[in-house]
Formats: sequence, structure tokens, C-alpha cells
Amino acid sequence: MPAIVLDHVRRVFHTSTGLIRRKHKDVIALDDLSLDVGDGELFGLLGPNGAGKTTTIKILTTLLIPTAGRASVLGHDVVRETGEIRPRIGFVFGGERGLYYRVTGRDNLEYFAELYAVEPRRIRARVDELLALVGLTDRANEKVEGYSRGMKQRLHLARTLLHNPPVLFLDEPTIGLDPIGARELRETIERLHEEGKTIVLTTHYMFEADALCDRIGIINEGKLVALGTPGELKRLVSEKSVVEIETFGAGDAQLTRLRALDFVASVAVERRELRQLLRVQTELGERAVPRLVAVLDGLELGRVAVREATLEDAYVHLVGRLE
Amino acid sequence: MKRWVRPFFATARLWLRFMATDRFMLFCVFFQPFFIAVTVMYMLRHQPSFDPVYVVVGSGLTGIWSVVLFDGTWAVQSERGYGTLELVVGSPASMAAIVAGKLAAGVVFSLTSMAFCYGIGAWLFGYEIAVREPAPFLVALVLAIVSLGAMGVLLAPLAILARAIGRFFTILEHPVYIFGGFLFPILLLPGWLHPVSYALPPYWAAVALHGTSSGDLGGVELLGVCAALIGSSVACILLALPFFRLVERRARVDGSLALT
Repeated sequence: MPAIVLDHVRRVFHTSTGLIRRKHKDVIALDDLSLDVGDGELFGLLGPNGAGKTTTIKILTTLLIPTAGRASVLGHDVVRETGEIRPRIGFVFGGERGLYYRVTGRDNLEYFAELYAVEPRRIRARVDELLALVGLTDRANEKVEGYSRGMKQRLHLARTLLHNPPVLFLDEPTIGLDPIGARELRETIERLHEEGKTIVLTTHYMFEADALCDRIGIINEGKLVALGTPGELKRLVSEKSVVEIETFGAGDAQLTRLRALDFVASVAVERRELRQLLRVQTELGERAVPRLVAVLDGLELGRVAVREATLEDAYVHLVGRLE
Repeated sequence: MKRWVRPFFATARLWLRFMATDRFMLFCVFFQPFFIAVTVMYMLRHQPSFDPVYVVVGSGLTGIWSVVLFDGTWAVQSERGYGTLELVVGSPASMAAIVAGKLAAGVVFSLTSMAFCYGIGAWLFGYEIAVREPAPFLVALVLAIVSLGAMGVLLAPLAILARAIGRFFTILEHPVYIFGGFLFPILLLPGWLHPVSYALPPYWAAVALHGTSSGDLGGVELLGVCAALIGSSVACILLALPFFRLVERRARVDGSLALT
């Protein structure tokens, strides 16, 4: 039996503006989303901002009720059986908030250990163990308000492991961490996966999803647009190469002309101060370079390179195609 | 047990530490009762019927009530402000137990305001302040703080369910000083307003504390007042529980647990 099931889940948020003539608007966050996550699986949920990743996590953690459809965790319905689900899951939402700043890191963990009914005589040892796991032993007795962002993120992870839940939801856990901190956190996630925990991970970092996840679901505008192993998703664009062109001053006009070319599958732009790095997916490989450069005629160009497609390119292909 | 008792005591412990560093709470507990106690003692010092213990108890009650009112009204909102509301709602613990723990901490912390007012009367004004019936006074004190705390537990979900009204709960602070008879007997109010006082748990708390401290309340009358305090506590908690369930259900439907 899958550990997590989403069955035709739809979630609509109602918003309104104005005082007298109120205007009501429905925002569809999830639109007929169906997927399941196996027991012990590390499942990645990818998608652009506003795609519905966090909404999915909040439904599965019993914090939101779906407008339609059904969802279950460990066989328990997320709407009606919250009392069965909550002791068996842990969750982290990315960012610094969600801690009591005026007390110490240890106080925070001991408090949540009580809320999760960790056996009283085990609390101190468990807290010490987790502080060591996330590398906060030396700072455990300092107030959280003095912690760096990375330390707060690690404290969040320790909090979510207090009651040793079999299912974890990690919503962008490495966001804002320095490279070393992010790598250490990824190693911790790998260890938890090896222990047999079922993990749902959302991230914007493709290499992270590629390295960690057994399977990945890509959602966009509330819909599942792709589902498979990292290898399967990469094969979606395996016949394509990526031409990377560094430009100075590329604007919408040039991008529109590039996208209009019949041999171009997608164009992604990464802006780096005055430079832009264009990533053009094409089946032509090196043969596309002269024609692409011709379209960018008049712009100052930097490095031009051709490489094989990665998971990020598959993601751009899938999400960009829908835009 | 696991959902109620441990979260209650854990929250009370955590919140006591919080309050000790919260300037607003320190204002409620020390500065406000200080000004009230000093003003009233100065105003009434030449009155033949002036009883300093009445002022100490009344000023202390103002501190307790202020903490209950603000803590109760903001108990849930403050969690949202810290970004911890989703974490505590998503935990197995009862939200009502967490709010009750916060209020218990607030009430215990605010008891210091009564001791502070005692100090003002005894050392600043040189009064001999003695509680005439210590044992009944202690019983009345416990029941009074339970009753006021229970009222705070009821205010917490109401402040969320009717946010527009919830914002105005804080203006109840001073009217309840008057209708509760904290510093002056409600006999000074018109008779047609007395039923308002009778409907308020803080009034019965004040009757119990003033009556046992002055020695005027005993026997059947004391039992009646204690019954009113116990009854109002039970009623507030029983009323609050379905409101908490409604708050959580509505928040899960509206998606309003987080600030973002």
C-alpha cells in the first residue's frame, strides 16, 4: 500500500477585494492532482513558484482541506483522521519563521517534544542526539534570535525528527543555506531515507532533486505535468542538446525571436547582473549555434557552449512548454 | 492525557519564560497596577472606611484581568505572528490545551502584581495589610484565577472567529474593572446595571477575594460564590471546546493558519 495517496485532489482559494462592492475571485491551486508515494520512497515535488507544491504539502500535513478529491497518509484520510496522521508525520516549511525566538534552541526542541508526547525520560537524550545530528550542540543553550538562517533551518529539521516519524514532508529545506550547510542537510536527508523513512521533498534546486529523489513529480499551475525517476525525466530531453550563450543586453525582442525558431524547443534565461545566460534546447546541437548567434546579431556575446541535457533542462522543457 | 496535560504544562513553562522578557506584559503586571494602587490609595487615604487590603486585592485583580484579556485575545494570533501556528495545529496536541497553558502562565505571572501592590501599600504608604481569612482567601484565589483563565480560553477562539469583534475585546479592559467591582463596590453603580456584573466571572472573582480578605464572606455565602466561580469556569471551557474545533476547521478550509 502506498504511504501517501492523492486522488483527484483539487484545491481552490477564495479571495475578495474591495469594501462595498466586493469582488470575489477563485484561485485554483491544485487541479485534479493524482499521485502516490511508496513506503520508504524519497519523492521530489518540483514546480515553479505558485505551482501548488506547498499547497500539496499542507493538505498532506492536515493543515488544509482539499476542495475536492481525497488524500491519505499511511492509509488515514487527511480530512477526518488528523488524530491518526499528526503523530506519525513531521514537516518542515522552508524559511526562518516557526521558532520561538526568545528562548533557546534546546527549549524549542523540548517544547515540541512535549507536544509530540515523546516519552518524558527520553526527551533530554533525544534532544541531545538531534542537536548533535544537526550540528547545534555548541549553540543549543543560546536564544534562537541569535541564530543564523542556516542554524534555524537545521533546528527545524531537528524539531521535525523529535518523535521519529515514519513520514517526513520537507518543503524547500535547503533554501537560503550556504553550500556547505546545504550539503550537510542533503546528507542528513539521505541518511533518513536509508533508515526507511518516506520523504516528500520540494525544492527549486534540480541537482538536489536529481541526487536525492527516487521519483519526481513536476507540477505546474496545479496539474501534474510529469512523473518518473530522474533518469526517465532526463530521457524526455535526451535527444536534445543545450546551447548556453552568454549575452550582454538581451531583451524580450531577442528572446521572442529565438523562441520563434522552428528548431528551438525552449529558451530559459538566467540573469547575472549585466549579463544574461541563455539556455536554448534544440535537437540540432552544435549546428544550431551559427543560426542562434545570427538572431542575436548586434548584441555583445560572451561564452558559447553546447552540452548534454540535465534534469533542469527537462524541467524547463516541461514547465516552459506550458507557458 | 498526551493531547491535554503535557501540552498544557509545557506551554505554561515556555510562556512564563516568554513573559519574563515581554515588556508589554511587564507593563500590565507591574506598572499599570502600580499607578492604580498608588492613585487609589492616595485618593482614599483619609476615608474612614478605607481598607488598604481592598485596594491591594483590587489592583492585583486589574493586573490579572489585563493579562487574561490580552493573552486570551492574542493567544492564537501571536502563534501566527511567530509562524508557529501551523506547527502547533499540525502537532497531536490540543490547541485548547496550548491556549490554556499560555493563560495559566499569564495568570500565575500576573499574581506578582498582587504581591507588588501589597508592597506598595505596606512599604510606600506604611499600611498594616493583613488578610483576615487566609485559608478561604487561598481557596478563593485559586478558584478566581481558574475562572479568569477559563474566560481567557473562551475569548481566544472567539477573537479568531469574529476578527472584527476580536479587535474590540481589548476595550473590555477598563469596563470590567468597574463592572467587576475590582476597586469600588458595584453598589456605586445604578441597580439596573448590576445584572451585567453578575454575568461576569471577574465579578465573582472579586467578590470572593475581597470577601475573604476582609473576613466579610463566609459560610453559605462563600460556598455560593465558589460555586459561581467553578460553574463559570466549567461553562467557559465547555463553550470554548467546540469553538476551537470550529476555528481549526475554518482555518483548514480558508488556508489561514499561516501569514503567507
